[in-house]
Amino acid sequence: MRRLTAALLVAVLALAMPVPLSAYLKFGFKIGDRTVDVRWPAGPIRYFISERDIAGVAAGDLRAAVGRAAATWRAVPGTALNFEDQGFTTAAPNALDGRNTLGFLDRPDLDRVLGATSLLLDASTGALVEADIFLNTRFPWSVSAQGEPGRVDVESVVLHELGHLIGLGHSAIGETERLAGGGRRVLGSGAVMFPIALSAGAVADRLLQPDDIAAAIDVYGTEAARAATGSAQGRVVRDGRGVFGAHLTAFNLETGELVGGYTLDAEGDFVIAGLSPGPHILRVEPLDDADVESFLSGAVDVDFRVTYAPRLIVVPRGGSGPAVTVTVVGK
Amino acid sequence: MIGLDAWVGRAGVVIALVVLTTVTAGAQTTAAPSLRGRHLSLSGGLSWTGGYPVGDATAALRGNAVGPSAPPFTLFRARTEVRPAAGAEVRVGFALAPGLTVEVGGGFSRPALATSLDLDPEAAAIALDAERLVQATVDVGATWQVPRLVLAGRVRPFVSAGAGYLRQLYDDRTLVETGRVYSAGGGVRAFLRGGDGQRRALGLRAEARAQWRRDGVEFESRTRVMPVLGLHLFTEF
Repeated sequence: MRRLTAALLVAVLALAMPVPLSAYLKFGFKIGDRTVDVRWPAGPIRYFISERDIAGVAAGDLRAAVGRAAATWRAVPGTALNFEDQGFTTAAPNALDGRNTLGFLDRPDLDRVLGATSLLLDASTGALVEADIFLNTRFPWSVSAQGEPGRVDVESVVLHELGHLIGLGHSAIGETERLAGGGRRVLGSGAVMFPIALSAGAVADRLLQPDDIAAAIDVYGTEAARAATGSAQGRVVRDGRGVFGAHLTAFNLETGELVGGYTLDAEGDFVIAGLSPGPHILRVEPLDDADVESFLSGAVDVDFRVTYAPRLIVVPRGGSGPAVTVTVVGK
Repeated sequence: MIGLDAWVGRAGVVIALVVLTTVTAGAQTTAAPSLRGRHLSLSGGLSWTGGYPVGDATAALRGNAVGPSAPPFTLFRARTEVRPAAGAEVRVGFALAPGLTVEVGGGFSRPALATSLDLDPEAAAIALDAERLVQATVDVGATWQVPRLVLAGRVRPFVSAGAGYLRQLYDDRTLVETGRVYSAGGGVRAFLRGGDGQRRALGLRAEARAQWRRDGVEFESRTRVMPVLGLHLFTEF
């Protein structure tokens, strides 16, 4: 079986910047002095399916898989996410036509990219106005319920790309190993929004994980849903200076949930929102399990050891515990 | 860390000793001192609660394999325990009869919550700084003074049982966990004064109980059992 290690790339047409105070990595957009979440206005997100068959996957199969993936996001409790299938279109999923289109596209030049999402937003509000998702015909695809060895699962990749479509960036909760021929193989993944896909044939990523759900609630959650969760905050420092781009994973000892976050400024400050109340262990590691560019741009420090916060982080309901400082050391 | 089974064993030994001593002293049956019926009693003093594990939790990632049951990838494992702690306890009782007292009690202590981490493929095993809990219990129970059994002249054995409410607050006072406690055990009252049905009694009370806890700071939704020892001064009104 050929192991597929292609990265899932998000192509954002408009400039997207991470929001400084947030968990995971959601897209943000700077308007004047403030940064707003990139998100869809209230109401259903309407989409079309590009009317093109490929070997093993008819357009109708793709439509059904997209419908299942959309239903998975819609089922996140406490959010107002909704999708509406508008049927088929003859347009390719790369046209600026005011329609959200999902479909297959020939991109032989992208030999490690399974699929990508392009976003177009209103620069005055940060609201999304159009998004297209393509799946690269360079790879063999499958819509088999159990998965097919050697073929990439359409529903899993569409679920990931729909995450981008609603404004989410990549999660870094995952562990990988480098392959001799280049690329990486996933050893374990803690989020559908991890940028590297599971092996071809795997279908485990049809289910959202706590990190994905926390992200969706953060951007689209109702007030009640947000109030039911809490946050952890603090700073990551090395030699007395803040660390930019450190990846943090909060592990809830009671629920077993893993939710990630990043330090997103030069001071090394972080806030991880969307956490279930309870005691958490906070693990800090460098962004070294995928290309750094998959997550952040800028001078990211990846030369430090995995480090734990010195004590438990107790997250209250609807609030945040005391700030914690984690001191990391070089490898 | 002392394992749960070991603690259960210790509690069992202590309780067994109390019962055994009671039985062997059965011949001494005269002028047995006791609390006065229809009177209030008050006892207060020190308590010691044994430690107990609250659960192992493994941070696991979704494994990468074809098929529905890919083995998970372990990121790390956390083992957490509540350590033994000394505290204070107060009990107010009402003697329904000279040998039978119903009680309301309250306890307070500051046990440490200790977490150790291992199995991280990228980091060495470590122990986190312990978190202090603010722990309070309120319970109702009863003691029954074993009839006609006297130890060392003015020492009377009793058995006890109760149930109550547990409240545990994390050190930074951001989160409260609540649960239930159940206990059974026994001990002795040493009457330094009174106990004759006429004068107000004053004495020492030593007790060993096995305590079962449900919920509270608990990561596996299991019932935990631990020993509780107490040494009180008591009097009556």
